[in-house]
Amino acid sequence: MRRRTLLSSLTALTAAALVLTGCGAKAKDDPSPAGGAWSYTAGDGKTYTADKTPKRIIAHAYAAKALMEFGIKPVGIYADGKVGADVGLKGVDFTGVTILGEEWGKIDAEKAVTLAPDLIVADWWPVEKVYSGQEEGVEDSAKKLAELADVVGPAQGDSIVGVIEGYAKLAESLGADPSVIAAARGKFEEAKTRFQAATAAKPNLTALAIGPYDNTYAIAVPKYAPELLDFQKWGLKVIDPQKPDPEFPYWESLSFENADKYQPDVLLFDDRNHPGNQEKLAAQPIAKSIKAYAAGAMTTWPAYWLHTYSDYTAQLDRLTAFIQGADENIGD
Amino acid sequence: MVATAEKAPPGTTAVKRIGLGGGLLIALGAVAVLAFLSIALGSRSVTLQTVLDAFFDPTATSPDLTVIRDMRVPRTLLAIVVGTALGLGGTLLQGVARNPLADPGIMGINSGAALAIVGGIMLIGVQSAAGYVWFAFAGAGIATVLVYGLAATGRDGATPVKLALAGAAVTAVFGSVTSAIVLSNVDALNEMRFWQVGALSGRFMPVFWQLAPFLVIASLIALFAGRPLNTLALGDDVARALGQPVALTRTVLFALIAVLCGAATAAAGPIAFLGLMVPHLARFICGPDYRWILPYSALLGPVLLLACDIAGRVVVAPGELQVGVVIGVVGAPVFIALARFRRLVQL
Amino acid sequence: MTAKTLAPPRSFRAHRRRRARWGLALSAGLTASVAVVFVFSLSFGSVTVAPTDVILALIGAPAEKWHTFIVQDLRLPRAITAPLVGAALGASGAIFQRLLRNPLASPDFLGVSSGANVAVVAGFALWNLTGYQLSLAAILGGFATAAGIHLLAGRGGLSGHRFILVGIGVSALMASATSYLLARSTVSDAKAAMSWLIGSVGMAKQADIIVLAVALAVLLPASALLGRRLRVLELGDGTATALGASVRRDRAILILAAVILVALATAAAGPIAFVALMAGPISARLSGGAGESVFRAACAGAFLVQLSDLAAQHLLATPISTGVVTGFVGAPYIAWIIVRANRSGAA
Repeated sequence: MRRRTLLSSLTALTAAALVLTGCGAKAKDDPSPAGGAWSYTAGDGKTYTADKTPKRIIAHAYAAKALMEFGIKPVGIYADGKVGADVGLKGVDFTGVTILGEEWGKIDAEKAVTLAPDLIVADWWPVEKVYSGQEEGVEDSAKKLAELADVVGPAQGDSIVGVIEGYAKLAESLGADPSVIAAARGKFEEAKTRFQAATAAKPNLTALAIGPYDNTYAIAVPKYAPELLDFQKWGLKVIDPQKPDPEFPYWESLSFENADKYQPDVLLFDDRNHPGNQEKLAAQPIAKSIKAYAAGAMTTWPAYWLHTYSDYTAQLDRLTAFIQGADENIGD
Repeated sequence: MVATAEKAPPGTTAVKRIGLGGGLLIALGAVAVLAFLSIALGSRSVTLQTVLDAFFDPTATSPDLTVIRDMRVPRTLLAIVVGTALGLGGTLLQGVARNPLADPGIMGINSGAALAIVGGIMLIGVQSAAGYVWFAFAGAGIATVLVYGLAATGRDGATPVKLALAGAAVTAVFGSVTSAIVLSNVDALNEMRFWQVGALSGRFMPVFWQLAPFLVIASLIALFAGRPLNTLALGDDVARALGQPVALTRTVLFALIAVLCGAATAAAGPIAFLGLMVPHLARFICGPDYRWILPYSALLGPVLLLACDIAGRVVVAPGELQVGVVIGVVGAPVFIALARFRRLVQL
Repeated sequence: MTAKTLAPPRSFRAHRRRRARWGLALSAGLTASVAVVFVFSLSFGSVTVAPTDVILALIGAPAEKWHTFIVQDLRLPRAITAPLVGAALGASGAIFQRLLRNPLASPDFLGVSSGANVAVVAGFALWNLTGYQLSLAAILGGFATAAGIHLLAGRGGLSGHRFILVGIGVSALMASATSYLLARSTVSDAKAAMSWLIGSVGMAKQADIIVLAVALAVLLPASALLGRRLRVLELGDGTATALGASVRRDRAILILAAVILVALATAAAGPIAFVALMAGPISARLSGGAGESVFRAACAGAFLVQLSDLAAQHLLATPISTGVVTGFVGAPYIAWIIVRANRSGAA
């Protein structure tokens, strides 16, 4: 095992040496847009500029997925969990991309420096005022990543569409083909129209977004979940919990003894750890007192990970079909 | 060690026997009262009438009744059997090791069970409590043998200090390996982190039925260990002279301890200090005769565990404090006081 | 005896000179080893930087530009923290062991480090303290625990091994309090909590490192100087007083220094098990005829933590906490103490 790490670090070094020597020459061959000067206004409000368009990008895995949909491939990514197990990264082909971290707060900055990045891309979180991967509580080496290159990215806000459009703009500045972006946008708009039609047909349908774990029945607060805000905007009545946790207002945490407090028509499980969280609820005897659970009226919701039009289109179509088959008279 | 009394434990007079029997009834009553409180109190407030309905009106159903019947009752039952098992386990341990500071937590038995369970999750993907329990038995057994074997080497046998040190050493090794596994494996961490603290909530009838047979049978056998423990208390030489097969008795008792502590650990996570406090409390009430200490321990264990569990629910309401933490806060000072003030080095 | 001290014979003086020279050579050797491991710890990682390149990068003339970033920005904090924490623990353990005349009297078993740990966790979980405030909290926690044990010891002091039992109890109490605080804290990331409970030199923040370095720079020479007097103290209070040393004051200063060092080490890296226990005896064994020295104990501690942290970072596929490794190494040492105590017949 020791040998493997040694060997891989040797190859990394060789690669880095190649990159460092070959980089300048290669950039000239690339047809850079607008005479080569690059500028982008990021979610933090600042405008970043460079003499030539950045090519060697390290990105948070979700940001990487967003850029790759528009044809921009990063050299390295860091994820919040195992890349193969993350529902938000399903179907992404990361071959040829160096994985710098597969755990929240841990980024291998040593490997990152050998990739010689000229741009780092991640979501900007307006509430914490920080980019993904630089949050409070991450390891110091992860924070050091920001010293290697500028960190940019669109802001998380009250709509997933805003984030995706932000990435579209960034991708365009990095040389993406606008017609690819327009095609993806067109398909999504159609799915959105179908979703709105389905919710309009069931005006009384209520939904509760939940993420049960260990000892807690956690209910998502739509205010901090842009996709749930989108659903509300497009006609689905996602219930706003009354008492979000004071220190972490993303959720209202109830003990399972009180899990029947809200009685929606359908339950939406956090899909990041589904079906585990549904099994956690199933093991609780109170589950049968939640009418939607007893009636089997439940599905998952794409929780906090949507970053591409293709994913959003697929998820909306799935939910549209679910809503069409749902009964709006189950809950209170 | 009671100045190595030459005769058998003092025979109890009829009057004393009635008194002690009455005491047992009072302890039983305490268990009943606490069990009722444990069922009536919780983060969801229910009326007294509803609690009574849950038992006397089997046809009625409502969410309140579900919470009482299917969530609080199993938790309470589990607390009772785990309390009994740990109380008896601690008593057997102190008796067989002839050591007043012996406790499954301090002696590293819990850490052995914990390591075995983590290993089970990691290597074979064990998921249910029924699967845990066999690993827990094995781990508890290995730790018991290791700690006692280490401490008992040498002429003066397993002194309190050597037992505590051997326990600390074994806990350190097992704990290190456990953390190494858990820190490098997210699945194991998720399974473990809740179980680790020692908690009774979120464990329902299936867990109870899986573990209750082991706990109940081992507890029943343990209740009959009074006579051999009394003999062992006189020292190996005297016990042998009285015709007791010392080695066999020890082996059987250690096996019982491993089953009691292992199953209790599998059910409720590692709970330290309960096995330490209960026998001392029992001895304080009824003196040195193990035939009385054992039944008292069997009842005082659940009394303490239920009381701590209820306290954990009430003190930080609407949240909950795991029972393992409450017992640690209550039990550690008892341990310190025992270590400080009792003449244990002679024991 | 007095005559001998007044006019040492020639051979005795030569022996002493030889001993001093050996001690000096040993100190130099240990310091050099620490330096070598320091360079190596800067060299290894997911990218290997050759030791010569490490030195070039350290003196500001890197072979490749990115060497500076990897060596100075990424690896240096951890590589400095390990020897600092180790030195603090080693010195503090050696002082405790000598003053209490017991190889087991390390802050691990006395509960001082767990007291400091509780204070740190309470500091960040309850009052959002940061940086220097946490260091201060650790020192207060360490002193509070030390004072508590002193009070428990009462007038006569805790005889024999009893205070170790008291210390184990105190540690258990503190552990309960810590896990309660971590469970309640808003930073309820289970993994972060677990690493904190075990201790890792990777956690140290800049403020911790600075405070620890300053404290070591002041306290290590001071206690090393007092260490000469320590040898006098080791003859026993009576003899020492007769020789005119102000025993009480020296004792107080040394304990003060030891508690501060262990508290700051804990504030920087959490509880790193058993280093304070092992460093003193290891250096004493190496020293042979050269006698014991606080400085060499500090070096041994630094070396131990460095090696343990290297193992923790690189031995397994996923890095683990430093404390896991030291716990794993320390436990056999305790077992060895027990067995050795058995052999010599005095436990």
